[in-house]
Amino acid sequence: MSLILAENLTKHYGLVQAVDNLSLEVAEDSVIGLIGPNGAGKTTTIKMILGLLRPDKGQVKVFDQNPWDNPNLSSHIGVVHEKAFFPAHQNVLNYLERVCRIFGVPEPRAKEVLQLVNLEEASGRKIKALSAGMLQKFAIAHALIHEPKLIVADEMTANLDPLARSALLDIVLRLHKDEKVTFLLSSHILPELSRVCDSVAIMNRGKVWAFGELEELYEKFSAKTVRITTDQPEKLAELVKTLSYVENVSTDSRGISVKVTEGKEDNLYEDTPKLARKGGAKILGIESGSTSLEELYRQVVTQEGEKQP
Amino acid sequence: MKKGKPFLEIFASALHEDYRFPVLEIFAFLYALGTFAFANLADFRFASTEAMAYFLVSSLMGIPLFIFLILVFKNIAYGLGGDLEKGTIQTFLSYPLKRRNILTTKLLSALGVALLLFFGIQLVALIVLAPGVVLSNVGVVLLAYVANSGFVFLLTAIILLVTLFIRKGGVALIVGIILWFALGIASSLVMFIASITGSALPLQIVALLNPSTALSAHYGGLQLVLLNIVWEPTLTEAAFYVVGNYAIVAFVFFLAYYYFSRRLSI
Repeated sequence: MSLILAENLTKHYGLVQAVDNLSLEVAEDSVIGLIGPNGAGKTTTIKMILGLLRPDKGQVKVFDQNPWDNPNLSSHIGVVHEKAFFPAHQNVLNYLERVCRIFGVPEPRAKEVLQLVNLEEASGRKIKALSAGMLQKFAIAHALIHEPKLIVADEMTANLDPLARSALLDIVLRLHKDEKVTFLLSSHILPELSRVCDSVAIMNRGKVWAFGELEELYEKFSAKTVRITTDQPEKLAELVKTLSYVENVSTDSRGISVKVTEGKEDNLYEDTPKLARKGGAKILGIESGSTSLEELYRQVVTQEGEKQP
Repeated sequence: MKKGKPFLEIFASALHEDYRFPVLEIFAFLYALGTFAFANLADFRFASTEAMAYFLVSSLMGIPLFIFLILVFKNIAYGLGGDLEKGTIQTFLSYPLKRRNILTTKLLSALGVALLLFFGIQLVALIVLAPGVVLSNVGVVLLAYVANSGFVFLLTAIILLVTLFIRKGGVALIVGIILWFALGIASSLVMFIASITGSALPLQIVALLNPSTALSAHYGGLQLVLLNIVWEPTLTEAAFYVVGNYAIVAFVFFLAYYYFSRRLSI
């Protein structure tokens, strides 16, 4: 069963096309990552899914209902916005107890969720006195309060320190495993998503450029790619580009990713050390295929970008 | 999961934000000061006790209506505009409540409490200052309240609509203040045009926006002698302008609700 079904969504802000004919399906009991650079259209997509924005074209169904002004859905969805804001002058615990009353949940649940996100020590503070990281934890506690079946989170781990991020991802995994909660998570921090997501949608320029299970995507986009870690990526990239079987080279601060003609990977393994010696670059490692979501993301953006008009 | 109370809780939350100490106390003091200090109990040598009742109410309402308008600027332009700008409304929209009800909770807090306070103090003032005049002219007193509030309600509705369009607290506040001054200047200009042309039409247009003009013209107040030169509406005609004004107010509020419920992207 699909909890979210978006079909051909299009949204403009004036002349800027934020989302372009986007389709996305989030199945029940899955954890989907929505990744993409700034301005890719992730937040706009999430807002249309939550019924905060009307699409110019296309339609979105959540739990098989139109999310626009639909209070019936609120009891099933937990939301964490990129920039969370709450009535600033209210006390943390008092406000969560108020939210319990809004949803008809027993008030002790407020303390439970504060413990879950490790924010009990701030329960007596005013919301406006919370630090950015604490506010983010508060937003997560707020989203969990009514035990929703679906959690939609836009940059959920923003502002959190590494330990808090890790703890939060443990919560995501536990809720997914034990309580079958479905997640749609957007994030820039790709290693985190690869830890919790079973599928990802890679967005760029308002479109989903790739969508599927992580293993499938690795298979599709990285099979003919070799990752070379080096101390001089730019120089090595120039040299590798001269090889006739090399189709594409992308660089970053730690190395290069080389896409080769099918069956030529072994040639690259042989030729690269020679080229590196010639150019005075040091090879620190060579491995086949993508080993990280970050690398997969780079491959998708490079390969699909070439196909875009 | 039992049924929650989203309307009451969001209303309580809005009250907490709009009237945190000492906002309510300060405005209650200003209302009382404005009501009692500017009450005009002098013998105006009016033609009737109805006219006297009308101008007594007008004098009691003048400054408090201005204070009410400051609360509207604070709670709607700055408050609701800020909630839209920062994203607090986004949080409220994740609760099981229709958009129109969320707007109602905000308006009940922003306007309802301010009006209760306003009319409470007015009632006390009427009973203390001139019980005889009030009791013998209850209809005129009520009509005077309705007519004198009309322009402020219209301005409130327009400020609400502008705030929803602008969605920025500070900007909505500035636009609201400019609007208030602009309407005041335009109103004076229209009266000037009426006095030099001798035509009642400009005054009738102003009376639709501010029905106290029609009632003042009817009772022939000293400050509006000029108006009587060109326009002397009957009480029924004055009441017609009151109804017309409230129809416009209702329409602008309807537009604001429609826009918030059906169109507003957050």
